[in-house]
Amino acid sequence: MHGRNEARLTLTLGHLYPDQLNLYGDRGNILTLKRRCELRGIELRVVGLGIGDALAPDEYDLLFIGGGQDKEQAPVAQDLFETKGIGLWAAIEDDMPVLAVCGGYQLLAHYYRPAEGPDMKGLGVFDAWTVHKGPRTPRCIGDVVISWNGMTVVGFENHGGRTYLGTARPLGKVLKGHGNNAEDGTEGAVYRNAYGTYLHGSLLPKNPHFADYLIGLALQRKYGLRRLTSLSMPPGEILNGSTPAQLTPVDDPTTLLRPLDDRLEWQAHAAILERLGLYEEAAAALRRAEAA
Amino acid sequence: MQQHRPSPVISQGPKQSDSRGSRWLRPKKGRPAAKPGSVTGAARAGQRSRRRRLSLRAALAVISGRAAGALSRRLRLGGGTSIVGLVAQRLYPDIIRHLAAQLEHGSVLVTGTNGKTTTSGFLAAILRDAGLRVWRNREGANLLRGVAGALVVRALPSGNLRRAGQAISVFEIDEAVMPQAVRLLEPRAAVFVNLFRDQLDRYGEVESVAALWRQMVKGLPETTTLVLNADDPTTASLGELARGPVLYFGLEDLTLDLSGQDGQGTAGTYQAVDSRSCVRCGSDYRYSARFYSHMGHYQCPHCGLERPAPAVRALQVRQDTFDRLRVTVETPTQLGEIVIPLPGLYNVYNALAAIAVAQALGISWEPIVSGIEQFKPAFGRGERVQVAGRTLRLLLAKNPTGLNEVLRTLFSEGTPRHILFVLNDNIADGRDVSWIWDVDFERAQGLTASLTVAGTRAFDLALRLKYAGFAPEEMTIIPSTPLRALEELIGSQPRGRKGRERGRARHQQYQPGAGAAKTSIQASPVAEEGATSPRETATPFPGYGLATALERAIEQTPVGETLFIVPTYTGLLELHRELERRGLTPHYWEGRD
Repeated sequence: MHGRNEARLTLTLGHLYPDQLNLYGDRGNILTLKRRCELRGIELRVVGLGIGDALAPDEYDLLFIGGGQDKEQAPVAQDLFETKGIGLWAAIEDDMPVLAVCGGYQLLAHYYRPAEGPDMKGLGVFDAWTVHKGPRTPRCIGDVVISWNGMTVVGFENHGGRTYLGTARPLGKVLKGHGNNAEDGTEGAVYRNAYGTYLHGSLLPKNPHFADYLIGLALQRKYGLRRLTSLSMPPGEILNGSTPAQLTPVDDPTTLLRPLDDRLEWQAHAAILERLGLYEEAAAALRRAEAA
Repeated sequence: MQQHRPSPVISQGPKQSDSRGSRWLRPKKGRPAAKPGSVTGAARAGQRSRRRRLSLRAALAVISGRAAGALSRRLRLGGGTSIVGLVAQRLYPDIIRHLAAQLEHGSVLVTGTNGKTTTSGFLAAILRDAGLRVWRNREGANLLRGVAGALVVRALPSGNLRRAGQAISVFEIDEAVMPQAVRLLEPRAAVFVNLFRDQLDRYGEVESVAALWRQMVKGLPETTTLVLNADDPTTASLGELARGPVLYFGLEDLTLDLSGQDGQGTAGTYQAVDSRSCVRCGSDYRYSARFYSHMGHYQCPHCGLERPAPAVRALQVRQDTFDRLRVTVETPTQLGEIVIPLPGLYNVYNALAAIAVAQALGISWEPIVSGIEQFKPAFGRGERVQVAGRTLRLLLAKNPTGLNEVLRTLFSEGTPRHILFVLNDNIADGRDVSWIWDVDFERAQGLTASLTVAGTRAFDLALRLKYAGFAPEEMTIIPSTPLRALEELIGSQPRGRKGRERGRARHQQYQPGAGAAKTSIQASPVAEEGATSPRETATPFPGYGLATALERAIEQTPVGETLFIVPTYTGLLELHRELERRGLTPHYWEGRD
């Protein structure tokens, strides 16, 4: 976990619009990624990318974009389209892991159509679009659980717009809560390694498996490991201060990472599941934590 | 309906006469005269019958409302002022206007995200010391029905207010309800303490509240004085839209600048900033001094908008002890020192706001000083409760800025503290607790002598603390409801079967009302109680419910020391009920007059 700087694994996280899109505890996602990297001897550098900053795709290994107030979202949308668009597209096509939450998710789809006024143009990474149906349609607010890769992911959602997927693959299936639009049971969207979701609360602290998955993807991509082909969970290889050369290709990126003591994380995860009546899943989550 | 509005008296001249608050007392108003112009007999008769109809209706509303309140209290459904207001408003939607118009000295409304209760408390104390009869709504009952209730419980069955002479009302009003409240009450002064992010799922976002306020201020009558926080950009910007007088308050003590205090203003001073871009042009503000969050001396580099110069200013703030702040205050007519008996910089703002209103109403200096210095904090705002040889201090924190300021107040001296955090996510708290990730818990790390985490979202908070550097073993986590999966997991382990039975026994012991918990707190130090000795502290699941959490936190606080309790809003209410059940706090909805 220490010393040997030259051999140390390093990842760089680009945090898009940290000053504008920071409404829903997005700091928790960054803290989680940072800490989970540090505990495994990986250095995670966080670089804020504000309005006007260019996005050079080869400088980053991981990107995060959060949600914000409507007032602050419009200049962001413009900047995303005009300044960062090309870099972001290149990064995504090159399989960089990207996590986009709430407003960030909407901005990566085709457009956001408010109840009144003109559409806000998005980047079109996800073949999806968002419509706000006016003040009479209730906001989607509350705890939410989705199933992702056979596991649960929990969070809190709070969005007025409803997102509809075209050909985009959803991140998961809604078990409890509203999801993309409260109609079709989908939540979030995936394109290559870009993940859009409405789940915050923050998302990553209570979902350590998803956090590790993103870190694993970034490591795999940066250190030349084989592209992910399946999501089975073979027994993990331990990565703790080891050099890139020692790594061998694996299928599930999270198996690159040394398991941590995540009992508290999974208890928080299970507490949400139990509130929504998912007792079986809660028990499974705690068992997984004990097994690790 | 006739309105008789007092014109605001802004004190501008030299020092007031020494008779307390004499200058601003207006001639006693008689029966309101008919509007000039309505002269014909028929019109007058019509008006008379209309007035009679309305007062009949008011009387009906008062009688029914109070009957409903009595019934609700009898059935122990609650304090009953909200139900009073609700019923009265249903029968006569204009009941607030009808009754408030009878107040001899009119109304003052206080709104803002943080500090409504304390600010109106300070102001009420000042006005009382000035010899007035002050009527307030019950803390937290800050929607219209709470206001209606507060008026109706003071009304006679005739539909008229009792003892309306010498009376003034000070109402704290929910941010989103302010437009309606202003329309019904036509206040003499409207105070905007600040605007932070709070309960997003209820109000939408900060910007939508700001838009609501701007709209409302444009429609305010010229007779309403606006009292605004100069250091909060969004709040201060309301002044540009006002038609009536505007009075700003603010801090001038530049030694409080965060960047100066904490070296580079970097590590450990994460600030949740809720409005950063210029209300006029959208550029980011530049701060020459920042006191906390977005409070400070700001300027827009693009359009030049800057913080207005405040008329009521704190020139110097010194901390005598934890909760004695010595503040040098300058107003257009006075310069003096006031001791604020509460902790935290936010309370300096609250006091300044109250002083500014008092000045706007023409109150002389003596009651201002005595009102603030002898102020008794409202429940949960730094109030002290003695329990089993320990002191409990309750510090409500319901949003990122509020909690950051409480943490700063608690931990800036580096003294280790005993802490009980209560995080709830009921509707009144806001369902979305993601804001805890924007709170600088890191600054408390290494400074907690004991740490108990409770509430409906105890695990979320514990996790936040873990990521702030606390080891899970340092925390006693006591959620509101049992985590079944965890109990089963413990129960399914070989050693655990016994543990599970123990757990069940423990559960019964901690049931509310099950004598053991009660007596241990009231009587002897808990350590003597065999059943709750260290053996149990070591078990992974120490129970659940706020009563248990309180018990545990007290156990971990040695006799003679202070336990600081930092709850969200409904956590505070629960604690209050719990302490009340043990006979430790005054009854909540006392103080009808």
